[in-house]
Parts: sequence; structure tokens; C-alpha cells
Amino acid sequence: MVINQPEMAIEHADVLIAGSGAAGMRAAIAAHDAGANVVLLAKGPRRANHTRMSGGRYNAVSGFNPQDSTDAFFADTLESGVGINNYRMARVLADEAMDRAFDLEGYGLAWDRTDPSKYYLSMTGGGNFVRSMGSVDEGIGITEVMLHQMHARGIRVCDFHMLTDVIQDDDGRVVGGLAIDLSRGVWRFFSSGAVIIATGGTSQLYETSSGPAINTGDGIAIALRAGAELVDIEFMQFIPISFVYPPSARGYTLTEPAHYGKRHTDPNAEAAHLLNNKGERFALRHDPVRKEGSTRDVLARAIMLEILEGRGTPEGGVLMVPDAAVFDSFLKERPIYVKRLLENYGEAQARLQAPIQVMPSALYTLGGVVVDTWCRSGVPGLFVSGEAAGGVHGANRLGGSSMPDIQVFGRRSGMAAAEDVRALGAREVRGIERAKARAQTLEAAMHRPDGVRPPEVKKRIQKLMWDHVGLVRSGPRLEETLRAFREIREQVLPNLKVTAKSRVLNREWMEAIELENLLDIGEAMAASSLQRKETRGAHYRTDFPALDPQWTANIVVQRKGANLNIEKRAVVTLDPPSAVPAAFPQPARAAAR
Amino acid sequence: MTTTTITVTAEIRRFDPAQDAEPHYQQFQVTGMDNMRVLDVIRSVYENQAGDLAYQFACRIGRCGTCGVRVNGVPVLACQERCKPHMRIEPLTPFPVLRDLVIDRTEVEARYSELHLTPQRTQAYTGKAEAIEPALAEHLCHLDSCLACMVCVSACPAVAERPFDGPAFVLKLRHMAKHPADHGNRLQQAVDGGMLECFGCDLCTQLCPADLSPAQAIREFRKELVFGTGKES
Repeated sequence: MVINQPEMAIEHADVLIAGSGAAGMRAAIAAHDAGANVVLLAKGPRRANHTRMSGGRYNAVSGFNPQDSTDAFFADTLESGVGINNYRMARVLADEAMDRAFDLEGYGLAWDRTDPSKYYLSMTGGGNFVRSMGSVDEGIGITEVMLHQMHARGIRVCDFHMLTDVIQDDDGRVVGGLAIDLSRGVWRFFSSGAVIIATGGTSQLYETSSGPAINTGDGIAIALRAGAELVDIEFMQFIPISFVYPPSARGYTLTEPAHYGKRHTDPNAEAAHLLNNKGERFALRHDPVRKEGSTRDVLARAIMLEILEGRGTPEGGVLMVPDAAVFDSFLKERPIYVKRLLENYGEAQARLQAPIQVMPSALYTLGGVVVDTWCRSGVPGLFVSGEAAGGVHGANRLGGSSMPDIQVFGRRSGMAAAEDVRALGAREVRGIERAKARAQTLEAAMHRPDGVRPPEVKKRIQKLMWDHVGLVRSGPRLEETLRAFREIREQVLPNLKVTAKSRVLNREWMEAIELENLLDIGEAMAASSLQRKETRGAHYRTDFPALDPQWTANIVVQRKGANLNIEKRAVVTLDPPSAVPAAFPQPARAAAR
Repeated sequence: MTTTTITVTAEIRRFDPAQDAEPHYQQFQVTGMDNMRVLDVIRSVYENQAGDLAYQFACRIGRCGTCGVRVNGVPVLACQERCKPHMRIEPLTPFPVLRDLVIDRTEVEARYSELHLTPQRTQAYTGKAEAIEPALAEHLCHLDSCLACMVCVSACPAVAERPFDGPAFVLKLRHMAKHPADHGNRLQQAVDGGMLECFGCDLCTQLCPADLSPAQAIREFRKELVFGTGKES
């Protein structure tokens, strides 16, 4: 069968950005303001992004809690990350988060207040200080004000454009991005000296997840294929408290105020009790001090173990006993969640008067592409920010730290990319032939008369990841999963078929392209999980259940031909080391109490 | 807390503008939990019966606002609407259709862009907390939590008959009008966008998946038209 070369439109951008969440938008705004001609690709409609789904809690040292400081925020970040964070990135996050929160207010966001010029603060997962700002419009408000800033600047947004690869020259320098316009089924090559990947995480690798359907780890896989390194990719954060049913809502986060109860504003108070089907408060076995107010990793694992060991509900959850006394403040602060509880569970649950079924769910990809503090990856011209980048959160992320992360590093990636392109100067269009050759490969499933449908393969991968590379892991199961992945790669991927003949919004075709990305990242996750022979943060090995100080180090993954090169590497600390606050690693909790 | 199952019939509008002269309807039966959403039905059809179905969703929890469809003629978010025994599922009107259930939002985004929905400041932002009363901040956030899902625009009888952009756009203008830092003439923009064509039927408010009231925004603007905005523009 002779297949004609696919048609390809050629376009130019100084800086090409993939991802329409806050990291991508903040990068676009920064690159535009630095004088670059920017094009932003959104895989779906521009509002379909993970930021929009967030509760929008924003950790920053606002000055309104006099006990808090940037040093304390930094120390909390490292404590939560169990000491393997990239210290330099964590420091930048603590230092710049508040300035970026003010940027958002300048864009038009109205942070919650207790006084006209005083922000309302609360506690979210794992921190030792009352530090998180927020707004009633949550992630929706953050994305709306940013989108209107994009519109005001005339930044071009291409909806339904999925980045499939970055194209490099012989020296490995990025010369552009290959994308498919899913709404027309047309290939586009964006000739560009700098590409910023802000495509978010990989939550779609798991059967039950909290993120949007588009988060298939595309950008991380693209960077891996381009030669960039991944760090901490074995760490996947699970939110402990999410909906169990109906099917469409399964895995969606139930928000922390309902779970935290009075602890939401008082570090000494207890969170809502969690009970298994024997009525036992199982969390006490896992964290006798913080109990149900423990960090997300500990709680999610505790719940999953109850479910796996047969002490869950028939629907596959455990029971959370909320505090009805916080209902009024909950309704005021998070009205959307009260509505969700009402629709999904009933009025008594919505009023926090009856036990609520909860289960853990894949939330956030802690690892990602290795970058420096200006979001430069090891590949010249390739920048990565937001959830797709690794390092800042280490082995576990503080609740409320994703929002400042995407603002702080989104901006930095945009500034650095614009500067990089400016220094490079004008260059001729290169890489079209490589782009065309890659596009032709990705057309294969469209022309195959028979084979396996992509949704079926996606489900197989999701089940393997949920069962063996999720909250509970072991050597034998990880090896088994790697073997299964190899089989899928060799036997199944070359036999994918697409039912629809139309090129317009062909979901099966999109999923066929996503599958390679899912498999690339799933394999990297399983391989590095196998390597980390200890338990730390979000990574729990039943065969190595204790933390091992030898492993206060990062695992870095790089693709070498068809194989993954896995390397243990020392944690990136501050330069000079004396810049680490004297208080660290002493937990700062004492100061708060 | 156990759940029962239900079998529903879904008639889905199929249309590929590049290939088909006319749209047609295809019928499917789907069995699932009785509190499943319309989106669960559509996803099941795609996964098990019609791999060539074009549909759109992302968050599945009523936040991205991209899964809007008409169910038995009523615009809804597919992820929020509980399934019914018999459903005719169609794309949102009056928008151009890309394929099957997915609309082309190009003109919608262009309209938002033209409205300049950033605070029009007379003085540059100081980079510190602005003085906003807590209750007003909360109100601003409610207005800003519009999903831009186009459910209200699709439902609005005035949009169908008269030169009116639609309730969603007035709501966003109202957000800016209430923002202390904004000095744009939002009232004039609302009038230019056809606000006065609104019948006052309140359908937009009744159907809003985010529980907002575009109708109230329109009423407030109309009041200002008579009594003034009390704000220098």
C-alpha cells in the first residue's frame, strides 16, 4: 500500500508553547512581554486544562501570618519532599511565589480577603504554617484572568493542536515543533528556535485519576524522546480524598476543607476521621501524631491498603466522617464542592452530617523533565515548566504548591526562551523533512485495515499502572509490569487501528498517538520505581517498607536508543550550601504551635 | 449506598460537514449506573459501539465547560446532566459544528477577546494587595467563575431571534464593571452587545451549570442605564 506524504502547513513562531494551563499561559505572557512572537498550542479547547480543575490554593509568604517566612516555606517544601527536591528550584519557589500572586491580582483576580487589603489564609496538605491563599473562583478564576491577558496581548492560541514531537537539527538543537490540528486533521510544522513544554502531567496513566482526559504525559514523553533527562519520575502523587461514584466523578478530588475540618485553619485541630468497614481509625497506625491530618502520601497509601486488604466499602472506598460544624465556612469557601457532594452523594453528605465515601486518585506527576531554575532542559532550545518539569516538589508536594509553581516557573520559562531566541538571531527554516517523516509514521494507524482499537490498549496500561505502579509497589510486580509494557510496545502498538475514516476530531487516532507517550512514561516510572529500593514520600515498596538514607538522592532517566539509562544522582543543593536556612532540616512545626 | 442499573436509549446527531450533505441520527442503547451522567453514556458509545464518534470533554466535573450538548432540546453540560431513559443528544446551537457533537468556538473566543476583559486601569497596578472589600472580592470571584460553556447562549431565545451576543458575555462585562480597578465603559459595551434585546425570561440563570445569574447581571446593567453607574468611566 502506497501512502502519500501527509500535507503539512509550515508556520513560524519565535517561541512555541505547548499547553494552555497556567504554566503555558504565564510563559506566553512573559515571552510576549520580552518581545517574542509567541504561538500557544492547546490540545483541546483552550479552557480544557488541569489548572482550571484545581482548587486554586496558592502557597505564598504574604506577610499576613507573622510566624511564616520564605525560609519556613522553603523548609516545609523540603520536609514534604523528603529531602530530594531540587533545592535551588524550591528556593526560587519560596522567594518568588508572592510576587506572582500579586501578578494575578494585577490581572484581575480577587484573592479572598478578611480585610480590604489582607488576604485570607488557610492550611492545605502537609504544611506547618497557615500560608495558603485562595479565591472562591478557584482554578477557573486563575485561568480566566490569564486567558484575558493573553487575549489583550493578541497572543495566538491554536485550539485542538496537539504537539507530537520537537524537531531537532543534527546537533540536537530544537528547530521547531510538529503538531497536528485535530479539528481539521492537518499537520503543522512550527519553525521555532525555542519550544516550551507546559503540557502538564500523566494522570491518565491511571485507572482512577483526578486530572483532565488530555493529561497523557505528551510533553514529558516528547522531551524524553528528544534526549532530555527525567528526574523523580517514580513519584506520582495521589490525592487521598476523592469521589468514588458516579463513574464520571470517580477520582475527582473532594477538596481538603471537608477533610481537614477545623484543622483547615488551626494546625492543632484534628482532621475528619477515616474509618474502614470495621469502623477502625486506620490512619492512626500510619501516623499517630498527625493522624488523619497527615501528608497526602501517607493518607492515600493508608486508604489504599485498607481497600486492597478487603476492609473497604463495596464500591471501593472508605468512610470519612466529616465535621458538620465547619459546614457554613465550607459552603462559603468552596460552594462548588457542596454542590458536587449534593449531586453525587446526597443532602446529608453535602451538609457534612453523614459519612462520605472516599478513595485515592492519581493527582499529580511529581517527577518530570530535568531543568535548571530557568527551566532549560538538557536539550538546547527546549524549555519545560509546570507539572511536566521535575525537581521542585521532590518525593511529595505540599498542597497549594502547584499553583505558585506554575506561575513562578511558567514566567521563568517564557523569559528564558525569549532570551534564548533573541541571542540565537534570525535563522532559516529547518527540519521540515524530519517533521514530514515523523508525521508519516504517526499516520500509520489511520491506514491500517485491521488491528486493536486504542481505547482498549489505554485501559490495559491504566490497569497495570494502577495495580502495580500506583500507591503500593513491589519488585516482582514492577518487573512483571515492565515485561507487559515491552509486549505492548512490540506486539500491540504496531497493530493499532482507527475505526473512523474522517480526519476531523478523530479521537481514536489521537489516542493512538497518546499511547506511545503513555507507554514511554509508564515504562520510565516502572523502571525507576524498581530501582528505588526504599519507601519515601509518594513511593511505597512493600518489599522495602522503610526510608533508606542511602536513597536521599535522585533517579535520573534518559533514553539511549531503545533502552532507558537509569542513574542515581546527588540532590541539587544550594550554592553556597550555607544558604540553606539554619533551621533546616528541623521541622518548623514547633514555631507554629 | 448501593446503586442500581439503567438502560438508556441515546439518539446521537451525526454530521461531518466535509462528507455529509445532511446530518442524521444514530440510535444506541447503553446500560450503566442509574446516576450516570450524559457524558458517561457518550463515552460508553465511543468505547463500545461507535469508535468514530466525535465528542469533547476534558475535566468531567463541570469545570472546563467544554462538553456542552443539547439533550432533548435543552442545553446542558454532558458531565453534569443525569442521564434520561430516552435522550436525543445534539451539539449546542447556534454554533458551527466541527463534527458530530463538537462545536467550533473560534467566534466565541474572538468575541471574548474583543470585549477587553482585563481591568482597564487609569493607574498602573502597584504590585501589592488592592483595597477590595471582602464581600466584593467574593462577589467578583463568583462572577469570574463563569465556565464560558455557552449553555446560556444556546438556551437564550433572544440570541436566536435578535442581535444579542448572549448572557455569558454580559456576565463577564459585569465582572469587569464591578472590579474596583476597572474604568472601562462596560455598560456601553453591554448595550452594544445587545443587552437590551434580553426578554428577561431567566432561562440563562435556570440552566447555568455554575449556578450564576447572567439575568441578574443584565438587570443590574439596565438599572445603571437609568440611574447611572456611580463610577467614573
